[in-house]
Amino acid sequence: MSMRFRLLGTIVGAIVLFFIISVVAARLTLNADLMDQGRTQVTNGSTAFGGYWDARKDQIRLLVAQDAVSDALRKNLQTKNVAGLQDQLSNIARTSGLSFLTVVDKNGRVVARANGSLPGTLAQNPYVQRALNGETVSSAVMVPKNELAGEGLGPQVDADVSGDSGNVGRIDTGLALVSTAPMSDQNERTLGAIYGGVLMNHFYDIVDESTHALGGQTAVTNGNVMIASTISQPDGTRLIDTQVPGFAAVRNGRPWIGSDTEAGVAYLARLDPITDDQGNVIGARWYGTPMSQIAGIIDHMTETFMLWGLLAMSLALFVSIPVVQRLANAISKRSEQVNAAAKDLGVTIVGSEVSGDHVAATRAAVERAGQILSELSGAANDPKVAELQAVNSELQGDMIVIDTLSQEMNQRLAQAVTHVTELKDVAEGLDTLVHGTNAK
Amino acid sequence: MIATKALKDAGVSAKMIPKPARVETPSNLCLMISAAVEHAAVTALRGANIELGGVVK
Repeated sequence: MSMRFRLLGTIVGAIVLFFIISVVAARLTLNADLMDQGRTQVTNGSTAFGGYWDARKDQIRLLVAQDAVSDALRKNLQTKNVAGLQDQLSNIARTSGLSFLTVVDKNGRVVARANGSLPGTLAQNPYVQRALNGETVSSAVMVPKNELAGEGLGPQVDADVSGDSGNVGRIDTGLALVSTAPMSDQNERTLGAIYGGVLMNHFYDIVDESTHALGGQTAVTNGNVMIASTISQPDGTRLIDTQVPGFAAVRNGRPWIGSDTEAGVAYLARLDPITDDQGNVIGARWYGTPMSQIAGIIDHMTETFMLWGLLAMSLALFVSIPVVQRLANAISKRSEQVNAAAKDLGVTIVGSEVSGDHVAATRAAVERAGQILSELSGAANDPKVAELQAVNSELQGDMIVIDTLSQEMNQRLAQAVTHVTELKDVAEGLDTLVHGTNAK
Repeated sequence: MIATKALKDAGVSAKMIPKPARVETPSNLCLMISAAVEHAAVTALRGANIELGGVVK
C-alpha cells in the first residue's frame, strides 16, 4: 500500500475513531443524563397526577360533607320520603360526577340510592359504621362486588384480566374514592349517614384530565390490574384490565420507578401506591413517558454526530489530499535522486577497483624496469643509462605514491560500498513507502 | 590527499612522495615543498584544519 494511501487512511481512521469514541461517550453520557432527567420528569408528573387524585378525593369528601348537612336531604330522611330522597341523590350524583350516592338510616339500612332503588344494608361497611358514629371519612377503598351490585355498578367492574400468558382471571372488586359522613338532626342526633364516591374501574376522567395537563400517560391499577388508563393499544382502544408487573414493587408502600412495557411500548414509568385509610396498599397510580422520547434524542444526536463527522472527514480529506500528494511527490523525487546517486557510486567503485589493479601492475613494471636498469648500470658505465636510472627512480617514487593512494582509496571505497548498499536500501525503502510494496 | 588539495587551493606547489627512510612517522607518504613556501604551506594546512605531523628539513 502506498504512502499516500497510508497517510490518508490514517487521517480518515483517526477521524472515524475520534467520532466513534465521541459518539459512544456522548451516547453513554446522554443516556445517563436523559434517564436522570426522565426520572425527574416522571417523578414530577407522577406527583402532579397524585395531586389530581387527591383533589378528586377532597372534592368527593367536600360534596358528601355538604350533602350530609343539606336540609332538604335531612328532611326527606326524617320523613322517610324515599322517592324524594332518591330524586335528590340522583340529581346530586349526576351533577357532581359521583358514581354512587347512598343514604342509610341510623342502623345502616339503605334508605335511598342515586342508582336505582335496590334495598339492602351497609351496616357491615366499616366506613358507614364510622360515619354512624359521627366521623367523616374519606379514603380510597376496595369495594366488594356485592356492594357494587347494590349500587348498580357491578357491570362496570366485572372484566376479564389479561396478562403475559393471555387471560389470567376475572376482577370482581372495585377501586373507589369514597367518603361517608353522618347525617344529624338539629339536635345533633344521628339520623343516618350518606355514603358516596367515584368508582375508578373503567372511569377515565382523572387519567384523561391528568394526561391532558401533564403529558405522558397515566393509569390507575386495582391491585396489580390496570383498570383505567390513557395508554392506547395498537388497535386504538384503551389498555385496561391487564396486569402490571411493576405493582409487586409497590406492595411495600414505596413508589417504584423503572422501565415498563405496556401495549408493546417501553415507558419510563413510576408507580405510586394507593393506600386505604388503614395504610394498606390496594392499588397504584401509574405515570409514564415513552422511552422513545429519550431514545429519539440520543438517536438524533448520534445522527448529527455522524453527519458532522462525515463533513469533517470530507473537509480533512479535501485539505490533506493535496498536502499528502505534495509530500509523496517530494519524497518520491528524493528517492529517485538517491537511487541515481547510488547507481553512479556503484559504477565509480567498480572503476576504482579496476584502476587499482592497473596501478599495482604498473608499479610492478616500473620496479622491474628499475632492476634491469640497475643491472645495466653495473655492466656498462654509460651516462645515459645512469640518467635513465635516475628518471626511473623518480618514476618509481611516484608509482609508490600513486599505489599508496590507490590502496587507501580502495579502503575508503570498500567502506563506501557498505554505505552505498545502505543508501540503496534507504532508496528502495523510500520508493516502497511512496509507491507501495509492489512498486519498482 | 586532503592536504594536497588544500595546498593546491592555497597556491602552494607541493609534491607527494613516499616517506623518506630517515623520517619517523606512521604515514606512508609525505608532502615535499620548497623551503621558501613553508610558512604559506603551514598556514594553508592550519586554515584547512589539517593536523600537521611535522616538518623535516
